[in-house]
Amino acid sequence: MVLAGVSLLPGFTVIGIVLGGIYALAAIGLVLIYRVSGVLNFAHGAVAMFSTFVAYQVSVKSGLPGWLGLIAAIAVGIGIGFIIERFTMRPLTGRPALTKVVVTIGWLLVLQTLAGRIWGQNAYHSPVRLVSKSGFRLIGTSVVVGYDQLTTVIVAVVLALATAAVLRFTTLGASMRAVADDPESARLWGISVNRVTAASWMVGSAMAAIAGVLITPLINFDTFSLTLVVIDAFTAALIGRLTSLPYAVVGAGLLGLAQTYPRAFFNTSGVSEAVTFGLLLIALAVLFRPGARKLRMA
Amino acid sequence: MTGLLDLYDVSIRFGGVQALLDVSLHVRTGEIVGLIGPNGAGKTTLFNCITGVLRPDTGRITYDGRDLAGVKTHRRARLGIARTFQNLQLFGRMTVLENVMVPIDAFSPRTPVGDAFRLPTARFEERKAEERARALLYFLDLLDVAELQAADLAVGMQRRLELARALASNPDLLLLDEPAAGLDARETAELADVLFRIREQFGVTMLLVDHDMALVMRTCDHIYVLDFGRIISEGPPEHVRDDPQVIQAYLGEVA
Amino acid sequence: MTADARVVRWTAVGVGIALGVLIPAFLSNFLRSLASDAAIAGLIVLSLVVLTGLVGQISFCQYSFAAIGAFTVGSLVAGHHWEFWLALLVGVCFAAAVGVLVAIPALRLSGLFLAILTIGVALFFDRFLLAPGTWDSFSGGTSSWRPGRPSFFGIGLRGEYAFYLFVFGILLVACLLVWNLRTGKTGRVLRAVRESEVAASTVGLNLTAWKLTAFGISAALAGLAGGLSAVRVGSASAGSYDFLHSVIIAAIATVVGVGAITSAPVGGMFLLFVPEIMRAWTPFSTQWFPFVTGILLIFQLVYAPDGAVVDSERRIMRRLHPPAPPPTADDTATPERVLARTST
Ligand SMILES: Nc1ncnc2c1ncn2[C@@H]1O[C@H](COP(=O)(O)OP(=O)(O)OP(=O)(O)O)[C@@H](O)[C@H]1O
Ligand SMILES: [Mg+2]
Repeated sequence: MVLAGVSLLPGFTVIGIVLGGIYALAAIGLVLIYRVSGVLNFAHGAVAMFSTFVAYQVSVKSGLPGWLGLIAAIAVGIGIGFIIERFTMRPLTGRPALTKVVVTIGWLLVLQTLAGRIWGQNAYHSPVRLVSKSGFRLIGTSVVVGYDQLTTVIVAVVLALATAAVLRFTTLGASMRAVADDPESARLWGISVNRVTAASWMVGSAMAAIAGVLITPLINFDTFSLTLVVIDAFTAALIGRLTSLPYAVVGAGLLGLAQTYPRAFFNTSGVSEAVTFGLLLIALAVLFRPGARKLRMA
Repeated sequence: MTGLLDLYDVSIRFGGVQALLDVSLHVRTGEIVGLIGPNGAGKTTLFNCITGVLRPDTGRITYDGRDLAGVKTHRRARLGIARTFQNLQLFGRMTVLENVMVPIDAFSPRTPVGDAFRLPTARFEERKAEERARALLYFLDLLDVAELQAADLAVGMQRRLELARALASNPDLLLLDEPAAGLDARETAELADVLFRIREQFGVTMLLVDHDMALVMRTCDHIYVLDFGRIISEGPPEHVRDDPQVIQAYLGEVA
Repeated sequence: MTADARVVRWTAVGVGIALGVLIPAFLSNFLRSLASDAAIAGLIVLSLVVLTGLVGQISFCQYSFAAIGAFTVGSLVAGHHWEFWLALLVGVCFAAAVGVLVAIPALRLSGLFLAILTIGVALFFDRFLLAPGTWDSFSGGTSSWRPGRPSFFGIGLRGEYAFYLFVFGILLVACLLVWNLRTGKTGRVLRAVRESEVAASTVGLNLTAWKLTAFGISAALAGLAGGLSAVRVGSASAGSYDFLHSVIIAAIATVVGVGAITSAPVGGMFLLFVPEIMRAWTPFSTQWFPFVTGILLIFQLVYAPDGAVVDSERRIMRRLHPPAPPPTADDTATPERVLARTST
């Protein structure tokens, strides 16, 4: 069995990298929102889930092309992000961070139930496909890479780079960094903190939506499992101390691989969750030890 | 020379800031010792080292002849060290009475089991704690506000409540971090009397940090002057007052 | 507190208990079993009254602690034919021990990160530890444990009303104990730790020990709830203790408010009877319940931050209990004399 497991490793590496890319997207959205607005969004996975089901409705149920579904999902993600920020976060300005976190838990329940009622709970749904399922053989190996897998990785990398570029080179990015560092002086510089915060929620939620759509071929696609992607995003983000985008991406890759490899050797259910939990513990213990070095964003 | 509290060559730095450098300081039982210095000199940092909130990089701190290295903050309280906070660390959403009862609780042998089942010992300890807390509040003229939330008090009262809470743990050494900050002239004058009364009634030794020179000169037996983390002068009040280096340090700050 | 307010409070408590005992006597067995479940859920809300109300810590894994109680009782009673009471005791202690274990990282982490950690714990339990194949001798594997109902000093608890009275009694006792804790040294000390850690430790409180204690007590209460629910339902299966349950109960506890003991029974009834009311009298099925809870949670945090029960209780109390006149010093024990006596 061990030998059989080893022979599976190259193929699992591909899956792990793809999974890592998706987690990276989710984590980037999470970190963006946290850095700019100071809110840890526990509903991040639920936002991803809800938007993804919209894509499912558009492309699988209604038979329109996958990319239309993706666009619909992004639009819905942006909309939800806007609503959460505008109507439930902005009125809480100045209140404890924990209060805001609990409000996002409220959103988790709302979105989760709504999706469950519309699309059915605990039911298996067929994934949203953006690209055909066929693939190609990696030269010199027996490993087959699906075009969809390739697309996922490319999209993840491009979006990660794009986010970094936006943060570094655009006015919006500069404002976001200013607000993240110090909202008060940002205000004095004439930056509209509210608008920048809303933008971060919208962009972050859009990333969640994309991550959600991309992950559907890889997991049991139902309302609950997608909502739980938030914990993977947290773990990846924590490896980046919730502030560093590059480290979050590295963390996501690590998590994707660490979740996938054990599956070559064990078929007990829940092994990847156990691995996630282990990494989460390590990330919390190591990175939040007193006096750990502060990392900076992007 | 060993006194109640002795610091030998204590240093600590935060990144680029050398907050304390080779500070040696001695407090003998029964004294009121002053510690003055311009803003950012390292006075609060010194208190944090003595109470174990911060760990000095090098140097030795002994209390009653005992090396405090590795002794946790709450253990130091048990050894008899109490302090007040410059930036007021009251238990804001608790009553004034409760604020003073907490240190008494900390020293009482009551367990959660005793509390849950209201064992006679727990009831007895509760009564004793409340009685003692009220007595302390009376002593500091806070009895009238005993049932108010600490956060709702005026600053002057909050400073006194800090004092009452510090005294509640029955300390031998009291570290006072700017007890006069935010007080008006009358309150500051009263504070000096309160400090003398505390020494008289409780026999507490004190290390007093304050920017109010009149208060420090009036109350202290011995004064240390800290500037940029270094002791630049020490001695009786008259000596320190006339020390050109001290004047220089303060003028340098003004300029 | 004035005598008036105290009379009102204890009368209200008395009436509440009387209603709690009497009303289910006239209900169907189905509603009685719901009432039992409500009392059990009340214990979990009570565990949050301790953890969130006193220490200020949110937890999204209270049902994982409950699961420990439930599966300990399930495996020991059904698998090893232990006496229920002994199994329950073991389950409660086991849950408390795990609670302390979870709290160890809590000593370093601030509230936010601890909340993430509790989600991690909940998922680790749901998806791994209690999944079939991981630890079947504890979780019962694919066939869940079927512990029978215990008896209480020779009185069988097979009847729904008898069982209800049994769990209701346990809830009352637990509420009383927590009330005592809150009003005694323990409550004071924990609130002090919540208000200012640095001040708490400089006045001599061992932060580590107290935080661990609070987590232990909270987890023990949840474990107790789990052990009782295993025999209430007559089976222990992982699905009843999953992450979503923990999230919903945390939401309910926040909505009713974690600042008052009364929140425990109220929160328990909310969890069980609101869905029932929705099913019977509204066009929405019970499955909409988490949605309603989520909406309430959002609204109440934005508009009534202390929680419904705490808010209304405070409003009633303020009406009955105008600000106290300044207390006068006790003449018989003059403060000087007390100081002289106690400060040595
Ligand atoms: N925890 C810390 N981390 C980093 N730097 C610190 C820390 N605590 C103090 N400092 C720095 O150490 C120096 C000494 O600060 P400290 O608060 O001890 O001064 P102080 O003498 O109490 O001043 P003040 O009179 O304003 O209260 C300051 O430069 C301060 O910025
Ligand atoms: Mg200071």
